[in-house]
Amino acid sequence: MKNKKFSISKYSRVWWRMTMAGFNADLTNRFAAAFFLMGKFLRFSLFLAFLILLVGRTQTLAGYNVQQVVFFFLTFNLVDIISQFLLRGVYHFRPLIVTGNFDFILTKPLNPLFSSLARRTDILDLLTLIPLVLYIIFFLASGQVVTTLTGILFYLVLVLNALLVALALHIIVLCIGVLTTEVDHLIWIYRDLTNMGRVPIDIYREWLRGFLIFVIPVGVLMTFPAKALMGLLSWQWVLFSIGLSVIFLWGSIRFWRYALNRYSSASS
Amino acid sequence: MKKYLQVFKITFKEYFVYRLNFLLWRVRNVAQLLVLYFLWQAAIPEGQTVFGYDQTKMLTYILGVSIIRSFVLASRSVEVASDIATGDLSNFLLKPLGYFRYWFTRDIADKILNFSLAVIEITLVIFILHPPLVFQKSLHLLFLTLLAVGVGTILYFYFSLLLAMIAFWSPENSWSPRFLFLIVLEFFAGGLFPLDILPGLVFRSLSFLPFPYLLFFPLNVYLGKLTSGEILFGLSVGLVWVFLFYRAVKFTFQLGLKNYTAWGR
Repeated sequence: MKNKKFSISKYSRVWWRMTMAGFNADLTNRFAAAFFLMGKFLRFSLFLAFLILLVGRTQTLAGYNVQQVVFFFLTFNLVDIISQFLLRGVYHFRPLIVTGNFDFILTKPLNPLFSSLARRTDILDLLTLIPLVLYIIFFLASGQVVTTLTGILFYLVLVLNALLVALALHIIVLCIGVLTTEVDHLIWIYRDLTNMGRVPIDIYREWLRGFLIFVIPVGVLMTFPAKALMGLLSWQWVLFSIGLSVIFLWGSIRFWRYALNRYSSASS
Repeated sequence: MKKYLQVFKITFKEYFVYRLNFLLWRVRNVAQLLVLYFLWQAAIPEGQTVFGYDQTKMLTYILGVSIIRSFVLASRSVEVASDIATGDLSNFLLKPLGYFRYWFTRDIADKILNFSLAVIEITLVIFILHPPLVFQKSLHLLFLTLLAVGVGTILYFYFSLLLAMIAFWSPENSWSPRFLFLIVLEFFAGGLFPLDILPGLVFRSLSFLPFPYLLFFPLNVYLGKLTSGEILFGLSVGLVWVFLFYRAVKFTFQLGLKNYTAWGR
């Protein structure tokens, strides 16, 4: 137990060091950082304005009013930004495999999965995350969506659960990166698929909705937490979501072990 | 001309080296298309009109944008920035090859391939989802749509080159302004929604900027929503922007070359 505690502190320190190194690297390039930050804010604001304009005119979207649609979008951003903030290493993973530099990660006294996922932390995402969280708190406090204490509790549990599903999906992307050197933008496909959760998944046809819940669980990631907060998700679905994330995480770790065994150390 | 034909063929063949990679790239486009398709289908129920669009016109717009985007916005000229940053530009300056023509040829190869796959994807979407669509029968409007697509294509080419040339002055930072530009483009070119749903003053102001002439304007010509005068006005503004960007690219390239040090060579 003592040893385990020590490990957690070691990994926290390593993560902190890597985060600070990444932050310093970003600071050397302030011009680029400013543009990226501006782009992220602009993308968020313009899509939000678009949703308000659209649902403001139509009054409802798949049965949801404008405030509810906005809340779905805010929750999508919350899950999306936290996972990008913590798991940015995945975006830089493939070159390690192609060049064989992954060998250096394997030989270090650190869990290679941890190193691969968290070797880069995007501090710019943290800068966008803080105002977003404040906005969500303000949004809820001003009563724009009706909720209860249980709803808030379910929301927090399901956001955490969504992050576990996101972690599992990022691990799967890493595994495919190890197994094939051909696919270099799988993470962007993941991003595009999760982007389908910017709006409530109820707008999609049943077969697509099923796909987005059971196969690539974008619904569990992005839509379920907001639905739970608004009291629109039964406890059975909450349990299902937690079960699904456990299965996904377990499966992804098994897949990672399988992929590692097949790493060929090409080019090194 | 022969050498550019070879450049075209080589660019085309490059995609078939990593076939799975390229096909998966297209999956991204389908995912983006499905979000917009279902969003607008849910927003405008059958028989209703929102923002002056019924479901048929809006779904035609969304699918049409996807096709036009695959041609107008498909581009390889983003790589010009890396040529400048790595010093590879020197290789081109020494060759008997027009640098802009070289990249335009690569762009065209990229556009044709993307367009062909987009047509297949949209055909599948139509086959599976059976959306109500507007099929333009007027040859006159179809011709004008092609003309507008041509203007948009050349405009985007110069736009893209100009952005890449930031690398002359800031070789490590050329991607971040492009990132910002792509976000602005997504909203103000009409890729997400038809621009005429915006408040009147905003829409009228936008019509003097280059963005609408990339996607929104060609699609509106196709849908038959514009009068002859409006089409003429749109084509004229688009051409003025093409001319301005052409001059800006020429000027910036000459200025950039004076600053270029073939760093890393």
